[in-house]
Amino acid sequence: MAIDMWGFRNPVGLLTLVKRELVRTLKVINQVIWPPIITTILYVLVFGLGLGSQVRAIQGVPYAAFLIPGLIMLQVIDQTYGESSSSLFQGRFMSSIQELLVSPLSAVEIVTGFLLAAIVRAVVIALLILAVGFVMVHTLPQNWPLYFFMTVLVATLFGSIGLIFGLLAEKFDHIAVFTTFVITPLVFVGGVFTSAQFLPPLVRAVSLFNPMFYMIDAFRYAFTGRTDVPLGLSIGIVSALTLASLAVALRMMGTGYKLRV
Amino acid sequence: MNASRNGPALRVTDLVKRYGEFVAVDGISLEVARGDFFAFLGPNGAGKTTTINAIVGLATITAGAIEIFGYDNVRAWREARRRVGLAPQEYNFDRYLSIRDVLIYQAGYYGLRGAAVRKRADDLLERFALTSKANDTFMRLSGGMKRRLSLARALIHEPELLILDEPTAGVDVELRIELWELLRELNVGGTTIILTTHYLEEAESLCKNVAIVEGGRLVAMEPTAKLLARRGSTTLTVTLERPLTHLTEALAARGAAYDAATRALRFSGIGPAEIAPTLALIVAQGYSIQNVDFTRSSLQDVFLDLVGRAH
Repeated sequence: MAIDMWGFRNPVGLLTLVKRELVRTLKVINQVIWPPIITTILYVLVFGLGLGSQVRAIQGVPYAAFLIPGLIMLQVIDQTYGESSSSLFQGRFMSSIQELLVSPLSAVEIVTGFLLAAIVRAVVIALLILAVGFVMVHTLPQNWPLYFFMTVLVATLFGSIGLIFGLLAEKFDHIAVFTTFVITPLVFVGGVFTSAQFLPPLVRAVSLFNPMFYMIDAFRYAFTGRTDVPLGLSIGIVSALTLASLAVALRMMGTGYKLRV
Repeated sequence: MNASRNGPALRVTDLVKRYGEFVAVDGISLEVARGDFFAFLGPNGAGKTTTINAIVGLATITAGAIEIFGYDNVRAWREARRRVGLAPQEYNFDRYLSIRDVLIYQAGYYGLRGAAVRKRADDLLERFALTSKANDTFMRLSGGMKRRLSLARALIHEPELLILDEPTAGVDVELRIELWELLRELNVGGTTIILTTHYLEEAESLCKNVAIVEGGRLVAMEPTAKLLARRGSTTLTVTLERPLTHLTEALAARGAAYDAATRALRFSGIGPAEIAPTLALIVAQGYSIQNVDFTRSSLQDVFLDLVGRAH
């Protein structure tokens, strides 16, 4: 049964959902906001300022400053996926998602509500880590529009993937599978800690198939003004992935996959 | 509230819901008039909750159509959903919100906000004796309070059609009677109410019309009183002071049967209006009456009879 999944006629309902998601974030602030900050401080201390003092400059900046954009992306990806997927899954698990499903909110409004909240969370987390970076290694973006654009784009991508897995999952464990076996490995080898130019040729060639590499490379350009691959290519690839994920999430929400039984 | 289109509060036409090979709802059609208090009954697994889920949008439908106040719940789903309030069988509250916010956020999802909504939330909390718990989450509420909160949430956007799926399941007798009064008030105030329940005396006491489903099919739908009159049976039992010497033609004509052991004359299928003439006939025949008992089958008897036949 197809319903009007594209309607955008309940702005109050949509904003209520955004507010509800942010209230949820504040209730679990010890899981969502503080861990990325603490983890980032530890990474900067140990790798950036500790080991990094023995590393020569990368892309024209000290290693600790090189590290900050990668760490921001790492946490934005991790937290955005984690929050979107667990909020939706928990709503299914506790049946509280039914509050949305019986209301006059369209699929696109529900997806947009979850994603706007994911974007707000991502921007806040990114700014907090940026503040840590500024205090510890005195680095700031040179290209603020690109900084915000990539934060929003990546939050939309992983917010959508979070919704997809929040719908697919049958238990909380399934949500962790994507984090453990996909996100974490790909982010770690995607250029958080090093530039592709230092990787062996074979590894470098393989990393070109890693979408995280393009996200981190484009985001780091906002800080260093340098990239390993053309900026347009990275933005194009990440945008295409975002659109594809968004389309899948919308389709699943529109058909009521595992929601409207 | 916007003026509704013409049409009954609810019209379900040839509703079918399949899960693979399993047919949960098999061609149910029913109509609920505006202002009705309607019981939707059936044993477990009969298709009641599936039908309700299809009405409110929690289940997709395989075939058929559903109209709410004239609005098709697929093509005009926003208009249809705005008019319905659901108090589901299972608690599904948002665990991150206080119960006051549960009401305010629910109104928000329906596109309502502002001081009027906050006041309505406070009024509902007061009406349902929940004000003292306004800032607690639902996990701190007793079972009865959760039932009341469920009803308050269903009412926050002032729906014209209230659907209650087992609203008094697991609540004590006192609260059940309290909830009945609240529901009667709402119905008198113009809200159409559809109720599913396993407490058939609840349906008999509250509902003007009743539908009974079994195996995904409708087996009865008519006014409660008419169903009881048509399907139910009555018995007048008159215990005599002394034994009956013989069953006269006049008594036999009224369907009397005599039990000598208890000195009881039994008249089956007798209407209330026939009680006094029957007693007068017995006295006229020279017998004194020791005791009179009149019984009528309940909705439960009729329900069991209908569901038994469906099997």
